[in-house]
Amino acid sequence: MATFALVLDNLPIMLWGAAMTVLVAGVAIILGMPLGLILCFGVVSPKPWVSRISRIYQSVWRGTPILVQLLIIYYLLPLIGINVPSILAAILALTLNTVAFQAEIFRGGLLAISPGQLEAARMVGIRRWAARYHILMPQIFRLVIPSLVNETISILKNSSLVSVIAVTELMRVSQQIVATTYRPFEIYIAAGIIYIVINLLLSLAGRSAERHLEQGI
Amino acid sequence: MATQPTIRIRDLTKEFGTFSALSGISLDINPSEVVCIIGPSGSGKSTLLRCTSFLEEYTSGEVEIEGRLLGYRRTASGLVRESEQNIDAVRRNVGMVFQHFNLWPHMTVLGNVTLGLRLTKHVPRAKAQEQGRRALAKVGLENFSDRYPSQLSGGQQQRVGIARALAMEPHVILFDEPTSALDPQLVGEVLDTMKQLAKEGITMVVVTHEMGFAAQVADRVVFMDGGKIIEQGPPAKLFNDPQSPRLQEFLDTWKSRNMLFQADGRSPGTAEEGARP
Ligand SMILES: Nc1ncnc2c1ncn2[C@@H]1O[C@H](COP(=O)(O)OP(=O)(O)O)[C@@H](O)[C@H]1O
Ligand SMILES: [Mg+2]
Repeated sequence: MATFALVLDNLPIMLWGAAMTVLVAGVAIILGMPLGLILCFGVVSPKPWVSRISRIYQSVWRGTPILVQLLIIYYLLPLIGINVPSILAAILALTLNTVAFQAEIFRGGLLAISPGQLEAARMVGIRRWAARYHILMPQIFRLVIPSLVNETISILKNSSLVSVIAVTELMRVSQQIVATTYRPFEIYIAAGIIYIVINLLLSLAGRSAERHLEQGI
Repeated sequence: MATQPTIRIRDLTKEFGTFSALSGISLDINPSEVVCIIGPSGSGKSTLLRCTSFLEEYTSGEVEIEGRLLGYRRTASGLVRESEQNIDAVRRNVGMVFQHFNLWPHMTVLGNVTLGLRLTKHVPRAKAQEQGRRALAKVGLENFSDRYPSQLSGGQQQRVGIARALAMEPHVILFDEPTSALDPQLVGEVLDTMKQLAKEGITMVVVTHEMGFAAQVADRVVFMDGGKIIEQGPPAKLFNDPQSPRLQEFLDTWKSRNMLFQADGRSPGTAEEGARP
């Protein structure tokens, strides 16, 4: 009963932290979509140097730990004269990270679309970017919703790492509560449950989005 | 002054690495002419159409659409690759119908037919839809505007493909084996649509294995083999009096295969029937 009361007492502040988690991860994911698409078109570009640079970006961000990326950005920004609150540094790091992963997800979707569709577009005079916007993008998005949900869940979980740069999201809040109550077990389990609930809601949203976009194919 | 050919091809070659897919093709397509291209698989028929529409860059030679060089610019130091914009401008009056339809599956039939009008000719939506419906009526699909491609039969999908090309009011339409991906019982409706277009005087280049169609509709049949034009002429002449052994052999193979088809009752018609109307 004491356990229950302890968690209940701290629930409002933990939910506040959870909101911050959703904000940081959500902004990163949403910013990451258009940028990930652009990077995807960069990777498949017929211009060798565009494709090369895009691939290098991808291997750097997919090949290093997210914690390392976060700390580098956090300490690098002030060095180059940019002073931003740590929450912005966190969003920036997560965005740059998810762009690399989302580009790969979009590329998978792109490969599932027959090149003939683009040739048909060219034969009615549709320019390259217009074809990407009107023909590829709607189909890619529908194809990759499940993978995008997975990536969102992964970013949500990884966002717990931004607690190290003092962003008061769910993990940081939990640590603070533990520091004053000395009840790590109860608090961290409660935090875990909150993460699971958020991710379940996400999966449900993804499935309903898929159903809505099913028309046509 | 003689009329200018709609398409003028001179000494066209296409190499894939060291492999020569087309060598020394010269061909004129005149306004209102229907030209069928026949030949064994791998003979370069698709490659010829793809170079004629510049979906594929050709290696040397020239392709002119209504007097304008396609894909390259003539300069003092030879041919230089043209910008995408200018390629689109030269290609503007060329339509294409594909073997696998290449419809856009996330768009309705009307969406497929009007997208080009809206994006490249900047026709306002209502006007584009009106033009699109007219194109669909030409292929007998005026009541299918709001369907999605996956809800249609193969024959209907290909007719949408034809309507999509027609909606842009091209001066010539290239067809690459438009009925090869279809179940035999669906071939007829597509061929009938194409016959109708031929009657209306639309310039057409049709790669096909449908000899009956070629015999009946073509003004000229071109036989290709090994990346070259081996023989060409009016269908009656070509089918009944082939000059080259390779064409003779090709027609013999086709006839014996067609005999098999006749045996199981699926014959789409023979070259002989069509050649002697
Ligand atoms: N993109 C390509 N790369 C390499 N070889 C190709 C390519 N496209 C076609 N070819 C080759 O060129 C030849 C002609 O092909 P194609 O024009 O498709 O013949 P057809 O349409 O008459 O069956 C074939 O041998 C084919 O393998
Ligand atoms: Mg072919």
